Amino acid sequence: MASKDDKPGGFAFTRRDFLKSAGVVSAVTAASAPPEAEAQTAGVNAVGPGEVPVRLTVNGKRVDLMIEPRVTLLDALRMRADMTGNKRVCDRGTCGACTMIVDGRAVYSCSTLAIEVQGKQIRNVDGLATAAGLHPVQQAFCDKDALMCGFCTPGFVMASVALLEKHPSPTPEQIRKGLDGNICRCGTFSRIFEAVSSVKGVTRG
Amino acid sequence: MADSREPQAAGGGGQAPIPPQPQGGGRGGQAPPPQAQGGGRGPQLPPADPKYHWTPPHTAIGTHVKRLDGPDKVTGRAKYTFDINRPGMLYGRIIRSPHPHARIVAVDMSAAQKAPGVKATLIWRNPADTQRNAAMFQGDEIAAVAADTEERAIDAARLVKVEYEVLPAVIQVDQALAGAAPAVFQPSNVRQGQTQETGDIAAGFKQAAYTLDQTYSTHVITHVCLETHGAVCEWDGDNLTAWVSTQGVNATKDGFAQGLQIPASNVRVITQYMGGGFGSKLGAQDPQAIICARLAKDAKAPVKIMLDRKEEHLATGNRPSAAARIKAGVTADGTVTAVDAESWGTGGAGAAAGFPLPYLYLPPNRRRAHKDVFINTGQQRPMRAPGHPQGSFITEVYMEELADLVKMDPVEFRIKNLPPDSPNAMHPSYLRQGAKEFGWDKRHPTGDTTPGPIKTGMGVAINTWGGGGSQGRAHVEISSDGTVVVRCGTQDLGTGTRTLVAIVAADTFGIPVGNVKPEIGDTVYPASGGSGGSTTAAGISPAIRIASVNALDALKEKVAPALGVEPASLVAANGRIQAKDNPSKSMSWADACKQIGAQPLAADGAWQPGLSSVTTSGVQFAEVKVDIETGIVKVTRVLALQDCGLVVSRLTAESQVYGGIVGSLNFALFEDRILDRNTGQMVNPNMEWYLLAGMSDIPKIDIRLMDQSERGVIGVGEPPTVPTAAAIALAVRNAIGVTVRSLPLTPAKILQTLAQQQRA
Repeated sequence: MASKDDKPGGFAFTRRDFLKSAGVVSAVTAASAPPEAEAQTAGVNAVGPGEVPVRLTVNGKRVDLMIEPRVTLLDALRMRADMTGNKRVCDRGTCGACTMIVDGRAVYSCSTLAIEVQGKQIRNVDGLATAAGLHPVQQAFCDKDALMCGFCTPGFVMASVALLEKHPSPTPEQIRKGLDGNICRCGTFSRIFEAVSSVKGVTRG
Repeated sequence: MADSREPQAAGGGGQAPIPPQPQGGGRGGQAPPPQAQGGGRGPQLPPADPKYHWTPPHTAIGTHVKRLDGPDKVTGRAKYTFDINRPGMLYGRIIRSPHPHARIVAVDMSAAQKAPGVKATLIWRNPADTQRNAAMFQGDEIAAVAADTEERAIDAARLVKVEYEVLPAVIQVDQALAGAAPAVFQPSNVRQGQTQETGDIAAGFKQAAYTLDQTYSTHVITHVCLETHGAVCEWDGDNLTAWVSTQGVNATKDGFAQGLQIPASNVRVITQYMGGGFGSKLGAQDPQAIICARLAKDAKAPVKIMLDRKEEHLATGNRPSAAARIKAGVTADGTVTAVDAESWGTGGAGAAAGFPLPYLYLPPNRRRAHKDVFINTGQQRPMRAPGHPQGSFITEVYMEELADLVKMDPVEFRIKNLPPDSPNAMHPSYLRQGAKEFGWDKRHPTGDTTPGPIKTGMGVAINTWGGGGSQGRAHVEISSDGTVVVRCGTQDLGTGTRTLVAIVAADTFGIPVGNVKPEIGDTVYPASGGSGGSTTAAGISPAIRIASVNALDALKEKVAPALGVEPASLVAANGRIQAKDNPSKSMSWADACKQIGAQPLAADGAWQPGLSSVTTSGVQFAEVKVDIETGIVKVTRVLALQDCGLVVSRLTAESQVYGGIVGSLNFALFEDRILDRNTGQMVNPNMEWYLLAGMSDIPKIDIRLMDQSERGVIGVGEPPTVPTAAAIALAVRNAIGVTVRSLPLTPAKILQTLAQQQRA
């Protein structure tokens, strides 16, 4: 899984690792093969290439899909479950527009395979607001005009939620570092910073 | 469909006429600067009736109104083109040339047609069509497929066999200029413009005490809209509904009609939300949109084509490069007497690279010769203030060097070489005010002598832009329940247009902004102009104002008898309709609207002169820290003073200025379309090696929106992105004591320039 804070995630074949290692497959197998990959080479637990059943837990609800194993978490939700809130922008784990929270950690869902996050708690922007209203982060973005075209906004919102659940009273430096994995082309950074700084009442996740 | 390889007229793109030498200073009485779309001067109409004027006091105009679509955007409910999923929808994929120049010999679709899930294919460049069978840049469209999933469309695209005859390509501008590149473009790889001359250049140099002869340049960058270009097309018989990520729904409608040879009345284009355009989405006949519609027709199913990031970098436009060898002369007292410029730039394959030069500081004696250099890359498109950031960088840097030659303060030097204040050229007074507020008196002379590797510096630059518009139409309806609907065939790029529409109507009716429902982004509404050249606010605000006043007049007619007064004596304010001189004769908005009956009150409006204006002024100051051991530049502070006439929507206008500054910071420090000099391949068509600022790169930004409410509405999207890059470059110069004469200011370039100075 493509975690945004680069800590070992304990996950198996990520798309990002694949991109990094394309062309040096043997070296990867020898040096740093995750257990699942080894299992695959041993002919056990292989999936695909056709569609396979995938069960996801998104915003607390079960989502059952038939998808090819190569489908990312982002594309699975956007194209097969009509959850189009999070966006695909760079498609390479750089810009953060696809940021979702998986088991409490912000991940690039464009670089996370759907089959890898079965059994995990997935949260995306589509499920952040409740019947009671906007999440405090969403409200702060609206209040401070921390968005323009809005295409990066779902990713920034989710990254901010993940940051605040980790650091409910973040320092300016923690805000900057926490949001450095997201890019806004309209240039609303100053107001995003203001918005996140103003949020109160997010509890540690 | 016009062949995209045809050489474009000067200005390029067919959308943004930028002659090589627009004297766009916005000086009193002079022509406004060039604008993409619309221009500043509308049709010759009599000025609007005084009843339509922007008469204070305002209840909504000029206030901080939260973006109406904020909640939809932060929740993900806002549906962009990219988010439109239609029943039975297919995914299209375009096959593009991997070569910068090649003839298409054969295209074999048979394997792709048999691939799983494929429902339609088409050949865009037919090998037999000698007019169209050449690919002129890496990424040029060749063919397309549509399949039931995106993954299958990508698989099928790989099965398309294209046989290319690879042809020599022009890659390097310098080679083309030197006549050392292969002959690719007709009649030549280099198009020499007419030399423009004002005054007596030789006499000007004779008056000069000091002269300068240096070469300056800026690079090519791409728009990097976060939502890539794309469309969803769905046919119902002969009628096409298209969701398109476009800056101009009406131009796109016409583009479909022409590209598909169908009546425009059969086409509906919808753009409810779009993820950034910056000028690249004005193209009415974008190939991917036409391809999408044709695939949908063949497949008898809706088709979505959204470009991937690499396609977006290669094929959807860029900001052309700019370079100039400048010879300039200045008198001992700091008057620039002569500027002789030889300039050039590339807008890609057959596209011009115009920019204003000199920018704003116009000496009495000046000459300019410009060359457009054609290379085998994607064509330029207008990009936020086309030409101005380039002209600004070149001009401001040589002006600073001239100021140093005569040992004058850069602010005073600029003021000396600008005309006095006029409403559309306020630079001298803004420079003085900004200098005071920024702490310019603490600026040290060129070269920070503080010990240690971190050097600080300050810089300043100025800007102008037209920002007028005239293509606005609106329809307003008031219902008996008091709700107001405003329909306007404009579109919101993220600038806040939807909110602005509601503000103008609410201000006229004296009701809360939330009581107005703006309906935009659809060709079923009254046609308005494309959103380019900062023309939207000035184009549609007068139309909405006029329609709203007309609707209010009709409402007054209904209400007056009940109040026993003349309709003309009534005003709308604070949620009430009341007699001007007798507040006791009044009725709440809700009660007033109950007089309307079942049929809503409806009124129309179209743009008229007198409510909007043209040409803005701005100045920006920047402070930087430069680490001379690593070459890393950190911008610490930016101050912007910017006018835009009557500020309609203050919160979103401020956001525009923030955004312009960050865009220009990106241009100065990070962005760069890097081509392999031999193969012509873009080596960074992604977002990890095509660098963009993140949160840690953002300085403290202070914005002063200067009040010019008496001038009416002027757009502000473009102007703030003009001067930041030059101000940053000059702050770097002030910090490190050497001049970097080209952008971007990469660490490597700064270290190299410092090393050259040490050797010298």
